[in-house]
This record gives sequence, C-alpha cells and structure tokens, in this order.
Amino acid sequence: MSTLQHFGKGALRVAKNYTKGYSDTQAKVRDATSNDPWGPSGTQMNEVAQMTYNQNDFVEIMEMLDKRLNDKGKNWRHVFKSLTLLDYLLHAGSENVVIYFRDNLYIIKTLKEFQYVDEYGKDLGANVRQKAKDITNLLQDEGRLREERRTRAHMRDRMVGRSP
Amino acid sequence: YPTRPVDKEKAEQELVINIKKATNPDETAPKQKHVRKCIVYTWDYHSSISFWTGLRVQPILADEVQTFKALITVHKVLQEGHPITIKEAHGQTGWLETCARTVGHETPRGYGTLIRAYVQYILAKLRFHRLRPEFNGLFEYEEYVTLKGVDDPNEGYEIISDLMGLQDQIDSFQRMIFAHFRHSANNECRISALVPLVKESWGIYRFITSMLRAMHRRTTDTDALEPLRTRFSSQHYNLRKFYYECSNLKYLTSLINVPKLGQDPPNLMDKGAAPDLP
Repeated sequence: MSTLQHFGKGALRVAKNYTKGYSDTQAKVRDATSNDPWGPSGTQMNEVAQMTYNQNDFVEIMEMLDKRLNDKGKNWRHVFKSLTLLDYLLHAGSENVVIYFRDNLYIIKTLKEFQYVDEYGKDLGANVRQKAKDITNLLQDEGRLREERRTRAHMRDRMVGRSP
Repeated sequence: YPTRPVDKEKAEQELVINIKKATNPDETAPKQKHVRKCIVYTWDYHSSISFWTGLRVQPILADEVQTFKALITVHKVLQEGHPITIKEAHGQTGWLETCARTVGHETPRGYGTLIRAYVQYILAKLRFHRLRPEFNGLFEYEEYVTLKGVDDPNEGYEIISDLMGLQDQIDSFQRMIFAHFRHSANNECRISALVPLVKESWGIYRFITSMLRAMHRRTTDTDALEPLRTRFSSQHYNLRKFYYECSNLKYLTSLINVPKLGQDPPNLMDKGAAPDLP
C-alpha cells in the first residue's frame, strides 16, 4: 500500500471524527488504533494513558476501545493495536483501567481464538491471538501486574528527576 | 448490568443473527466471531436463556451439519460463557436429546454417529457440573478447589475418579472423530469439534495432576492412591497420543496451541506446580 493511500485514509479518519461527532479524546484513541500499518507510537499511548486519570476521558476511552476490540476480522489491525494500547494502559494508565478489564476479562479472553485469513491465505489473526493470551495472563496474575505497574511508575519518576 | 457500553435490544437482535450464522448449513467450522458473540452475550447479561431460545427456533435439526455445528457452539458457550450458562443448560437436556434422536443412523455425510456421541458427551459434562458446581466450564485450575478435596481424602478420591471418567469419554469421542475423517473433504467441520475437546482435556489433566500431587503430599497411605496413579498414567499416554495427532492438523494448530506432553507421566510425588496452560 502506498504512503499516499494512507495519507488519504488519515484524512478520511479526520473527516469521520468530525461527522460522527467523536470527541478529541475518542479521536486520539481512534488514531492510536487505526488501520495504518505502524504504531501506535509511544507518545500517543502515553497521552491516552495520562487521560485515563480523568473520569470523563476514561469513560470515552473505554467506549472507543470496546468498539475497536470487537471489530471484525478485516480490521484485525484495529483489534491488534487496541490490545497493544490496552497493554500499555494496564501498565501506565489509571487503576480504573485494570478494574474495568478485570470485570470484562471475557472480551479479551475470547479473542484468544480470533481468526482472520486474508485473500492470499495469510493468517493475520495470529498476532491478535498471542497478544490476547498475554494480556489475559497478565490480568489474571494480580501480583505480577501490581509489580509491573510499580516498576513502571518508578521508572517514570526517575526519568522526570523526581525522587521515588 | 454490563459495565460495557451496550444496548440490550440490539444485542438480542444480533444474538439471533449470530446463532443463525454459527449454525448455517456450510460444512465448515462454526465461525469463531459468531460463537464469540454468543459467549460475550452471556457475560454481558448474566443469562443464557436467549441463547438457548435462539437455538431452539433455528430449523437446524433437519440438517446433520447444522446440528453438529450447533453442538460445537453449545460446547464452546458452556466452556467459556458466564457460569450461569451451565446452570441454565440443565433445563435444556431435552433439546439436546432431541438432537440425538432426530438424526438418522446412515446419514449422507456421516455426522449421525458423531452427533449422538457429542450429545452423550455434553450430557455427561452437564451431569458432572451439576454434581460439582465449583468447577468452571473449562476446568480451569483454582487453588481452593484442589485444597477442598484434599482435606477430605474420600471426597478428593471421588472428584478425581469423576474427572477421569470425563477424560475417558473425551478420549473415545476424539477417536471417533478421527475415525470419521474423509479423504475427499477438508474435514474442517469435524476438526473444529476437536478444538473444545483439546482445551477441556487439558484443563482436566492439569486439575488431576495438581490434585493428585496435593493428595500425595497430605496422605501417609500412598498405597491407597495406587489405582488413581495407574489410571493417571494410562490417561497420560492416551492424551499424549491425542495431542500428537492434533498437532499434525494444520487447520487446528492455526487456531490453538496444542499442548505437548512429556514422554512419561509427571511424577506425582513431586512438589511442582500444575503444568502451564498452552
């Protein structure tokens, strides 16, 4: 696919954000989990993670993430990148993300058998299946998740020069 | 009560369509995306009544492939749906029996025998769950259930025997499925019935392993456990063979990781944890 085509798609996404009345927050999530064959970038994910600490933004982010996670096979990148973003949010986002996805674990768990084979017979579902498996394991291992969240917070504090 | 952003009316309508598509007459696997929607529905609304009603109103009994696909779908929803699904399934045994009764003996595509065996298995599974409601649909390992059985050795012995009974039934059913493969066809529909069987047998195997280990640790009379050890060992070899045969089915390995068991059964006197899930 040419870059130009993706540029076109990006423009379309901007238009859709506008016509469908998505908020800035939702547009950010949509950008981070788009069909572009790259990303989401660290900056994008971090931005969304910080927004999860605001209750209004949190609700909007979960709503959009839910939509993307339940997208159809052809849009496997939506699903895959939503899982990537979710993984990041579980580590660096607000505790509410963890609570929400523990409650709705089945959304992730049932993606362990996600299937999509493209017109050339290439299995593109494998990425989604692996990621769904990893995140399910993480969500079910309370101790590990807590530890990883602590380490992450530590690292962030050190990088901005705050003492722990 | 779903915390997800959902719309009940829309969900009900979609459920009907998903059931219909999962059980369509094409001789393929029931599409996972449709099965998944059924599973997710039971969690969203803590109910499976609409799922069962949806199945009943579909005209699937006239077609052997549709009936078989419906049974695969039922099995998967029982495994991964909200726990209420298993409770509510006890009221559906009549419908399941009808599935087995309606299908002829010599069916053109050879699903008749498989359908009857599948119904037998699902009914056995439901009987087990009725007796032991603390197990979930995939027999996923949870520490407290193991310990509960260990405190009362007689109870523990019975639980393990019952689990082994179910394991034997899975084994004979999977053999039957393999025996019904056809050279002319791609067998996708038959293979897709092996997916929930691999998962379930693995859950049971893990459970039995960790429970037997816990019992060996607690008791001083390991001789009393000899019959269980012997049976465990023979089930290990059967399961190993089953997984080996599954690992040669490309279609199946593209869907799930098939566990690989060691040459010999694990040592039950060992202090090790339960084997890892694939």
